[in-house]
Amino acid sequence: MPVIALELPRLQKLVGITNRKKIVEMLPFLGLDIESQENDVVRVEYSPNRPDFSTDFGITLSLLGILGKKKGIPKLKIKKVSDYQITVDSSVSKVRPFVTGIVARYGKIDEKVLQQVIIMQEDLHFGIGRRRKKSSIGIHDLDTISFPFTYTTTSRNHKFIPLHSSEENSISEILQNTEVGQEYGHILGNSTKVPIIIDSMGKTVSFPPIINSSMTTVTTKTKNLFVEVTGTDKNGVEDMLAVVATILQSAGFELCTVKISGAKNSTPQFKKRQIILSQNLVNTMLGLSLSPRKIVSALKKSRLDATTKNKNIICTVPRYRFDIFGPMDLVEEVVLGYGIENLESTSSPSQTLGQKNHDNNILNDLSQTMVGLGYMEALNSSLTGKRILYDLTNRDSSNIIYVKNSKSQEHTILRDSILPELVNNLSNNIHELYPQKLFEIGTVFLKGNPIKEEFHLACVSAHNYANFSEIKSILQSTLKTGFNIECKTKTSSYPTFAEGSTAEIVVNGKSYGFIGKIDSSVKENFKIRVPIVGFEVKLSGLIFD
Amino acid sequence: MSKVFHEIEKKIILLLDENPKLTPKKIGTSTGLTPDQIRRGIEWLKFKKLVIVEESQQVYLRLGKNGLGANSKGLPERQLMDLLKEKPRKLNELKQELKSIFSPAMGIARKNNWIETDGENISLKNPPSDILEEKIISKIGKNKILVSEIEDKKTLEFLKKRPNFIIEEIEKSQIISLSEKGKSISETVKISEDVVVKAIDVEADVPKTFVAKTHPLKDIINEIREIFVTLGFTEILGKLAQPCFWNFDALFTPQDHPARELQDTFYLDGVNSKKIATPKQIQQVAKVHKNSWRYLWSINKARQMVLRTHTTCDTIKFLADHKPDEARVFSLGRVFRNEKVSYKHLVEFNQVEGIVVGKNTTLRDLMGIQREFFHRMGLNKIKFWPTYFPYTEPSLQSMVYNERLDKWVELFGMGIFRPEVTKPLGITKPVLAWGGGIERIAMLKYGLDDVREFYSNNLKWLRSVTKCQ
Repeated sequence: MPVIALELPRLQKLVGITNRKKIVEMLPFLGLDIESQENDVVRVEYSPNRPDFSTDFGITLSLLGILGKKKGIPKLKIKKVSDYQITVDSSVSKVRPFVTGIVARYGKIDEKVLQQVIIMQEDLHFGIGRRRKKSSIGIHDLDTISFPFTYTTTSRNHKFIPLHSSEENSISEILQNTEVGQEYGHILGNSTKVPIIIDSMGKTVSFPPIINSSMTTVTTKTKNLFVEVTGTDKNGVEDMLAVVATILQSAGFELCTVKISGAKNSTPQFKKRQIILSQNLVNTMLGLSLSPRKIVSALKKSRLDATTKNKNIICTVPRYRFDIFGPMDLVEEVVLGYGIENLESTSSPSQTLGQKNHDNNILNDLSQTMVGLGYMEALNSSLTGKRILYDLTNRDSSNIIYVKNSKSQEHTILRDSILPELVNNLSNNIHELYPQKLFEIGTVFLKGNPIKEEFHLACVSAHNYANFSEIKSILQSTLKTGFNIECKTKTSSYPTFAEGSTAEIVVNGKSYGFIGKIDSSVKENFKIRVPIVGFEVKLSGLIFD
Repeated sequence: MSKVFHEIEKKIILLLDENPKLTPKKIGTSTGLTPDQIRRGIEWLKFKKLVIVEESQQVYLRLGKNGLGANSKGLPERQLMDLLKEKPRKLNELKQELKSIFSPAMGIARKNNWIETDGENISLKNPPSDILEEKIISKIGKNKILVSEIEDKKTLEFLKKRPNFIIEEIEKSQIISLSEKGKSISETVKISEDVVVKAIDVEADVPKTFVAKTHPLKDIINEIREIFVTLGFTEILGKLAQPCFWNFDALFTPQDHPARELQDTFYLDGVNSKKIATPKQIQQVAKVHKNSWRYLWSINKARQMVLRTHTTCDTIKFLADHKPDEARVFSLGRVFRNEKVSYKHLVEFNQVEGIVVGKNTTLRDLMGIQREFFHRMGLNKIKFWPTYFPYTEPSLQSMVYNERLDKWVELFGMGIFRPEVTKPLGITKPVLAWGGGIERIAMLKYGLDDVREFYSNNLKWLRSVTKCQ
């Protein structure tokens, strides 16, 4: 989940209340989790479906709502002017078919505002932009460029000075040499033509979705902005633009239309949607008996518009709230507007009788049996490492099951055996008093169609007098006491166990695992001095189907 | 204090009662105890403050090479005088006869005026009947005696100055005696000798016995299973490896959603599932994705196998397969997240999830069930906050106040399954779901600050955890 650092003095000013404690207390009721608070800064985690919460301007809009200071949709006021136009060339349809944009004028961009805008842009790129693939934004200093623009394609030899650079670079060079080029270049595939926005003087404004031109860099001296969004989905680009427009208006900018035409593109409308919500749905889901009027009031506190129509509520949703899909999303908006703190829990008796899972019960009984035999229960991760599972225990690693890109080096493969983990546990306990007797019951993974999961029981006994007879007796006693199963041990070999002290566990002529004395080379690998005996038995097929 | 004594202790006390000061060696000769038994017995009695142990030094004497020679043949001066007894002798003759002892013999005899010389012949003058040194030498003989046994200290000093006559040995030893307390107890010991025949020291420390037990985390898991069952929930079991279809797609998580990416989810390398669901289920889920998220849904992505990131994949599959009108079901087990392991994050942990299906079930009921659950876990200060899950709407999270940490801790999540989740799978009744990680609750219960402890199998911790909590 993304995190934003909120500066309380700024937020106090934006919300217009001085009671800092109250603001902080209200934040969780917007679904913002407070991660930490230090002096003036509160770090909150917000839902990825609410990109408007990536700035304090957006959070303010919602705070004003639940505080009851401002209700209903924060209306977008967009001045209709004809100064700004973008023509779309049909060649973009194969690479990045859609563009949209807006102009924001007469704003004040200080360091803080600039910072907020950059954070918002990053968040939009990552979340709804799907790492720029679906949609991406460029924000430009309006006064450095001259309309009308063309959104078209160009060859990879096209040159311009990219952002944070002072020299001209070709598209190919940018893709190869810059960090953003390397990270996002793949979005353009290997098409020879790439998307480009050119102003009326033929100057490059932006090379979406990679980088802006250096010429249009926004600084604290910038007063007027041009924002463009390009992408693969017409609705998607306008959704993103709606968030930016709403935030910039809240930041004090005056919005103006950008006229867009050509190749299935059109001027953004920021159309609101209407969703009909029934009073019944709200009340049956929440267990309340709210009147339609109360529901309308709650929705307005969630910054939506609503009117009643008989027992239904007609709710209007602004464009930037594309996280709302249907009536159930509005039920949540009602809860937020109503206040979760006002929702009292009820307790109603269960209509059903509960029951534990039979297999789980059996595994638990087996645990109790092992404990009765003096064995301590261990728990290990089933995602483990090659070193313990195969290398140190001399086991054959030809059927490894890997997970992709693990962030933890010790957890890269799925275990096909529990015993190596138990030996490793003994190794970590060499300073504790002996005897040490451990067991674990758990899932192991085997290659299959697509993958096989089995329950195994493994146990080890380590002390100065540990010997084969002892562990064989434990094995037979476990299976006999637990399941009335008689098992035999047949001379065999297994790489973890010592030659001559190894046997297969055989029940009714079928093999279910191995038992033996841990080989001295394995003990040496784990730096253990005392003798160890152990076994691992497959339970699936033996006591389960 | 215990009035019971070990056999060894008794023997030592009774002996010391008769012989107040003894060395361990003497105790051995009198009691027949082995040196090791005596050592232990003295330690025990010393610990009980019944005996006093004085460290002492004893000086012993024995004869050296020349001393031994004098013992068998007489002192050099005695040998000289014996030769002169018959007649005076010539110097050279004596020299040949006495060899190496000639010089010391002459020296001492002359000094004491026992002989005289006329230039050529040597003859006796005033021979003594006894030489004092002879007494000491014969007293020591071939033995080792305490220096205190020699009374004539002056002569001993002379003898010690003569080379290789006397060797001194210093031996450190203990002198054991009864303390006042020991003296007073000796009577009791004498009596107990007759009365208590086979008593042992029941108050003494004993070696530790370690109890084998089920794992503390398993105990919490079983406690939670128990609570779910008593709240009317039936347990289901699911596989740990699941196709993306049930882990994500069926739960309305779009295929291009960042949450599905490699950095959060463990994908199994090259493992795909052929049969993931019924054709109708696949078709309906694909449709809702296309309509709601506007992208090209791919069945191949749905076939990729992952380690389940939540147990919700089990509950949704149960719902899709059974479509109950009324049900309470829960699933508890391991789930996986591709995260860096730290004191608060594991790659693999346990999660429980319960669902409630029923036409009259409300969000407030779900809050009530959760309150009841936490109450039974001993957690009573609870509040709810809104949150976000891709597959529930509305979504809440429960916050529990922890006194030790003095803060609110986020524990469980809950919500009503979105219609985009239930409808495509033919589930018509509202489904309420709730659940969360178990290790977090267990950490609160066991007072742990590092979640890794649950999987480190550190015997020191496992052996020390209180079992019956």
